[in-house]
Amino acid sequence: MPGKRNKMKFKIFYSLAASFLIFVSAILVEHDPVKEAYTVENIKTPDGLTAETGGITFLPDGRLVACFIRGEVMIYDPKSKEWKLFAEGLHEPLGILAVNNSEFIIMQRPELTRVKDTDGDGQADVYEKVTDDFGLSGNYHEFNYGPVKDKEGNLFVSFNTASPGGNVKSKIRGEFYPLGRDNQPGLYEMYSVVPNRGWVMKVTSDGKIQPYASGLRSPNGLGFDQQGNLFVTDNQSDWVETSTLYHIKEGNFYGHPASLVWTKDWKRGNPFTIPINELDSMRTKAAVLFPQGIMANSPSQPLCDITEGKFGPFAGQLFVGEMNRDRIVRVMLEKVGGEFQGACIPFIDGHGLRKGNNRLAFAPDGSLWVGQITFGWGGDYGIQRIVYNGEQPTDVYSMKLTAKGFDLTFTQPLDKARAMDLNNYKFRHYYYKYQRKPKNEGADLSTQQDLQNVSVKHIKISADRKKISLILDELKPGYIYELKLGDITNAEGKPLDNKLICYTLNKLVLADNSK
Amino acid sequence: MKVINAILLIILFTVRLNAQQPENDATTVSIKAITGLQFDVVRFHVKPGAKVNLIFTNADDMSHNLLITKPGTRLEVVDSALKLEERAPELNYIPKSSQVLWSIPVLSPNQTKSISFTAPIQTGAYPYVCTYPGHGFVMYGVMYVSADGKMPDIKNDPNIPPSRKQDQDVHAKMDMHSVQASQKTASHPYEPIAPYLYRIFMDDASPAAIAVSLPSDLSYCWDPETCSLIYAWNGGFIDNTELWKGHRNANAKIIGSVFYRENTTYPLRIGNLQKTPIVKFKGYRLINRYPEFHYTIDGVDVFELILPKKDGNGLIRTFKIPNANKIVCFYPNVENESAEYEFSAGKLEQGVLKLTAKEAMEFTVTMTNYSLVYARKKK
Repeated sequence: MPGKRNKMKFKIFYSLAASFLIFVSAILVEHDPVKEAYTVENIKTPDGLTAETGGITFLPDGRLVACFIRGEVMIYDPKSKEWKLFAEGLHEPLGILAVNNSEFIIMQRPELTRVKDTDGDGQADVYEKVTDDFGLSGNYHEFNYGPVKDKEGNLFVSFNTASPGGNVKSKIRGEFYPLGRDNQPGLYEMYSVVPNRGWVMKVTSDGKIQPYASGLRSPNGLGFDQQGNLFVTDNQSDWVETSTLYHIKEGNFYGHPASLVWTKDWKRGNPFTIPINELDSMRTKAAVLFPQGIMANSPSQPLCDITEGKFGPFAGQLFVGEMNRDRIVRVMLEKVGGEFQGACIPFIDGHGLRKGNNRLAFAPDGSLWVGQITFGWGGDYGIQRIVYNGEQPTDVYSMKLTAKGFDLTFTQPLDKARAMDLNNYKFRHYYYKYQRKPKNEGADLSTQQDLQNVSVKHIKISADRKKISLILDELKPGYIYELKLGDITNAEGKPLDNKLICYTLNKLVLADNSK
Repeated sequence: MKVINAILLIILFTVRLNAQQPENDATTVSIKAITGLQFDVVRFHVKPGAKVNLIFTNADDMSHNLLITKPGTRLEVVDSALKLEERAPELNYIPKSSQVLWSIPVLSPNQTKSISFTAPIQTGAYPYVCTYPGHGFVMYGVMYVSADGKMPDIKNDPNIPPSRKQDQDVHAKMDMHSVQASQKTASHPYEPIAPYLYRIFMDDASPAAIAVSLPSDLSYCWDPETCSLIYAWNGGFIDNTELWKGHRNANAKIIGSVFYRENTTYPLRIGNLQKTPIVKFKGYRLINRYPEFHYTIDGVDVFELILPKKDGNGLIRTFKIPNANKIVCFYPNVENESAEYEFSAGKLEQGVLKLTAKEAMEFTVTMTNYSLVYARKKK
């Protein structure tokens, strides 16, 4: 039996050598080759908390403060992983802004409220009205969002319209004006019968509230970019054929007619009887459209990446939560003809992310925190954080319109052969009609109009293999250009993280400006 | 009793469905999509190999499809529908998958479509689901295929949405004890101990109302619109169940009985007594957890704190008006004839309490409600 013994010895030697090799390679290879760029982690919320997250933000001292639908405001210390109750009893708070470590401004249903701990015991004792100078009909859908603060210290909030799925109360707050509701046959017209439903409002530092922009339907999310531009999302349905990201400017109207009745010196009576062409010419179009059923159905808060690289390569771009699925969307904007337009692409799908992504905030360490909500809809509960692992994502960094097509810049050099294959770029274009919701059409149904394939005529790759310039058969303003990327990889053969990208082409680039 | 009711209902339900399944004939099942992302029927059963005629009606105002999947594959199918991305609308959000057994495309409101199929021979729980984006996680039900027609107890049925597991004992909810019991299941990450409050939708109040729970089983509703106490009750506090479901019009329900209701919109006046005062709510401060409301009457600051009487038989309202500079009047509710009022200051003249500016700096109105005294005695 010596042979057997030798075999054993050899086996032992072999396995030792193998473990040594594994050990050495573990030292030599710093990064696990299958490591993802981003990881989603769950944050444990306290027992007994129904974690329907209405707002999250970080305090100057690095702790997280969150408010929840049942009225709690709680503070989480990421170091000790402990939650503490700060305040309670608020009515459906859907947004929170930290003034300092012990003072917050919270948007609740009836009021924008300053909540303070004045005796230093860690719990709020003062609930001070900032403003309640806006209407409440008692309709369940009159949600209030914000506040966000501009560089001058003004606050911005937005007010949802009321839903035909609910009624008004007999006791309301504010003037009642029934012409803010469409009375033609049909089921789905959201309405604005108390002030200033469907508006973005500005609250000055002395607490005065002023109408700022109208025409919103369900504006569940406000955010500034680094240059101080205000962006607000809106949710698809009547008059909003697919969900939107608007660049909000004072005095503009964004398309849903109900809110028009609260325009100063409004003399047009029922805004729903204004001819569609006129309404269309009055409105400011979305900077970015999120195709329904494809990109997002209920986009929420837009948040600018202010982490300067701590969260990966997308500094300055916007992340937008999506309620209907396990997704965060990324938005890449550019100015064309003096106005913002641009593209949206999934940022993260799945990876343990839940649905119901309602609120976003960057922690001081650059991780992106996400608060989820369901509140009688198809969402979820809880708080998660998305951590950048330092591994460069393989993704589209930007999509820019040129005179004849698009320039795509990627986060990494690409495999040239695959990147130069025209079959890897499938374009379609389509648009959504601006219209009153057709009677008997599902409230969440959107119809792509003039859906066509668009072929790519010419392709060019940059010397660093990061930029692809495409020339298309045609470019039409007023269309979404949807691009499905195929089997493109980075130089090491890693496929793209996200392959579907939709560019909202409102304006063409003039030929002589293209260089 | 509840269990018996549930069993009885299940039997009735079973019998009703069986009645539609005569020998050698097709089983007809009607399912409606209804408001709140749900199917009206969340479960039914058929025999293995039975001919099934499924009629699907969209009675909601959203868009819905209906897919029947292989057992245990609902979430997988929902996920593959989401992955259809740009092809989803043209495919009616129906993934091409062997896990989808039968499907009805997206229907608009009031549309009806039916399909006929032969039920699988393999017994089991076959989910049905709407895969329109965002719907699939909450909008589903189950077709049980079995020879004996048995379905699990609806309360523990893992194949139906959690919100529908209590459908069968809705009437039991009217029972006061069960309402209070449901209050005791954790509503918050802490045990609320009176005094505490909610800003919340209440009956007979403006949409900005505040409900306050006091010790001694007393509660009151205070309205920032009129800046006044509008009613008070004893018993439990409030049941927020309907409101907290979200996405529906609902008010919190008071638990107990109202012993006081204000009959004057503005019971407190400063200076000009004829004029309707202009009141403005400013906020509140918690003092030992009791809210002290701050508001102005015609520009004059008023602070109001409401405490329970020590014996629990009424409320003590403390008003502070530091700078009234004028006569202050308080109108006690004389319609509340079984209540007794005591005032710490001022003079009662023809049913109106009149106070000098100095007296108004701080005064209390104590209300003893004999309905509370008698109720307590009965206990």
